[in-house]
Amino acid sequence: MTIKKIIIENNAASFRQSHSILNKLKNVTTERETGELSEFTDKIYPADMDKETLRLVVFKGEFLKPCPGTKEYICCGYQILNIGTNCPMNCSYCILQAYFNQPSLRVFVNLEHELNSIEEYLDSQPEKIFRIGTGEFTDSLALDHICEWSSLLSAFVQKRKNVVLEFKTKTDNIQGLLSSPHREKIIVSWSLNSPDISRQEDIGAPTIERRLKAAKKCQQEGFIVGFHFDPLVHYKEWKEGYLKTLELLDKYVDPKRVIWVSMGCMRFIPALKHIIRKRHLKTHILDGEFINGSDGKMRYFKPIRIEMYSFLKKHLDLWEKDLGLYLCMESSEVWTKSFGWTPDNSQGLSDYLDNRVVKKKLISYLS
Amino acid sequence: MYNNIHFYNFIILHPMNMNQLKNNIVSLKAEEFEEKPGLFCMSYGFDSKKITSSIAQVGLINRPYVRRNRSGTIDIITGYRRITACRELNWKIIPCIDLSDAGLSDADLLILNLYDNICVREFNNIEKYMIIKKLLSYFSMSNIYERFMPFLGVSSRREIDLLLKIEGLTDELKGYIAKGLLSIKALELLKEIKDYDLPIITKFITELHLNFNQQILFIEYINDISIREGLDVSSLLNGKTFIELLDDASQNIPQRAKTLLDRLRIKRFPILVKNEKAFAKLILEVDLPPNVRIKHTPFFEGPDYVLEISFKDGKKLKETINRLTHAKGIEKINDPWTA
Repeated sequence: MTIKKIIIENNAASFRQSHSILNKLKNVTTERETGELSEFTDKIYPADMDKETLRLVVFKGEFLKPCPGTKEYICCGYQILNIGTNCPMNCSYCILQAYFNQPSLRVFVNLEHELNSIEEYLDSQPEKIFRIGTGEFTDSLALDHICEWSSLLSAFVQKRKNVVLEFKTKTDNIQGLLSSPHREKIIVSWSLNSPDISRQEDIGAPTIERRLKAAKKCQQEGFIVGFHFDPLVHYKEWKEGYLKTLELLDKYVDPKRVIWVSMGCMRFIPALKHIIRKRHLKTHILDGEFINGSDGKMRYFKPIRIEMYSFLKKHLDLWEKDLGLYLCMESSEVWTKSFGWTPDNSQGLSDYLDNRVVKKKLISYLS
Repeated sequence: MYNNIHFYNFIILHPMNMNQLKNNIVSLKAEEFEEKPGLFCMSYGFDSKKITSSIAQVGLINRPYVRRNRSGTIDIITGYRRITACRELNWKIIPCIDLSDAGLSDADLLILNLYDNICVREFNNIEKYMIIKKLLSYFSMSNIYERFMPFLGVSSRREIDLLLKIEGLTDELKGYIAKGLLSIKALELLKEIKDYDLPIITKFITELHLNFNQQILFIEYINDISIREGLDVSSLLNGKTFIELLDDASQNIPQRAKTLLDRLRIKRFPILVKNEKAFAKLILEVDLPPNVRIKHTPFFEGPDYVLEISFKDGKKLKETINRLTHAKGIEKINDPWTA
């Protein structure tokens, strides 16, 4: 992916990160945009979402927010650090296609400026463990060579006793992380899929093998890693497909230095279906038996989900019993029928994952 | 582009101005009018029989408004249907009101025609689309939302988005929409269908009189199946299972429509349908009292099954509960996929 244009919105130019980015991309055409941003209308919504343009934006909303979750399904209690939106990859199933009606890759250059107030907030609850991630509205590392998020945020979390930061990615863009002196309180995690699905649907993303080679490198360099099988896709040869990924995991990754492995079956808001059909003519991501879930999202018929989770759990258990497996946005019933136990509710899952953080010595036990 | 519609309330609707304009009566030769509907026309798919018969009986009660344009031909401002009827009746001369020198802009004249139409009839969806498209030449979308949406009988912005998707449709599809045979909500889905598959889809929709909800299900199912199986919609629907339904004399049309959707659903959701059937069979095998029903949640997504008892009084309820505790096979009720 090449950045062909930089747009500096409103007063974004004065921030240090803007200077740093402009310095790195000296040869890229730069434009300034003043006034209110015009939202995309359906008429001019570009098929490529203008991913070759980098917008430097002053974000006026809250930088740190809890993952919204829904009351019908169990949520992990993650905190989202909003560093930017959109990502250079073009995965067919990406929810960002439906959530964002604003164009381009957007970097919130006032993040550094806002870290003080985030710090105050985190310090005001010293007894609470904050599991923070930046990979919800963008890929945590895809633009790291330009934005240097890993350097800025790794240094920030080192000073906090009650925080771990997860960089969630599909890339092998780990140079920034490796060159940072910080290892503590950092989790580097990868989204995984079967090689077939990754090849067909993770458009523009490195292969599963490249991701796992990057994970190996990170483990060797002292990082704790995690994995997210999300979205699990039900297709004819799904068992063989996911077993191939497990073989690659075994080949490259030391299971003892894995903090958690999550699983979540393909789900989407109904409006995304038509966007996917429009933007990804060859996709088979919508082929499965999707029903209306209790939260209004489309998800696989329950026994399909249970079968997929049970299968993966069984094979991951053979690799290593203590992987910190968990399900993303599933009901207590599906937990029980797939894993044989349930955290009962979102607080239960949150406690379970906090314990994983303590167990892997990323944070000392907080009293 | 005008941002304030109030401007038109003054120019057009002021009764004095209108009365003065009505004096500019001209007699125009029928051949002077172009065949094409023209700049201000908002009529599509209408039946001219009634208006032709009315004019034949009592003449032209309300004169059309026209103007002579720069190229010397006549633009019809209001009364396209009336002029069409007069021409069908072979009138040589048509009396009109000439607004050429009224100092009104194209936007003024469009609004004039809109008011003229809105008083006497409802617009079909193709006409609504034509009007919105014309209005967009002069007004911002937010102005259209605020001022014209309720006026046109459009209930939401989403409906405007759907209406604008009519752009580029074939005349055949437009005809179905104008007649109310095809839902505009189905349009978004039809845009995902290949052009050469549209005729067979509309054949099923119109011949089986699918209602708007059925249309959406039908298009969703057949498109999903076609993509999953890598087969054209046409070859799927031309298969025996479906095409023979169109002429199946053993069922009436609503039954055929239901059978079509049932067959498609089985193909689209084989695992779900198999489990629904297995559950129904499981319940049938239980010796339940007739006033008791056991149901699953929609798509089995909820964790529990539901027991429903209807009863007249406590005595009857107690009897039912007693019968239930001894009902044969009740302990076998379980998730059908675990069987």
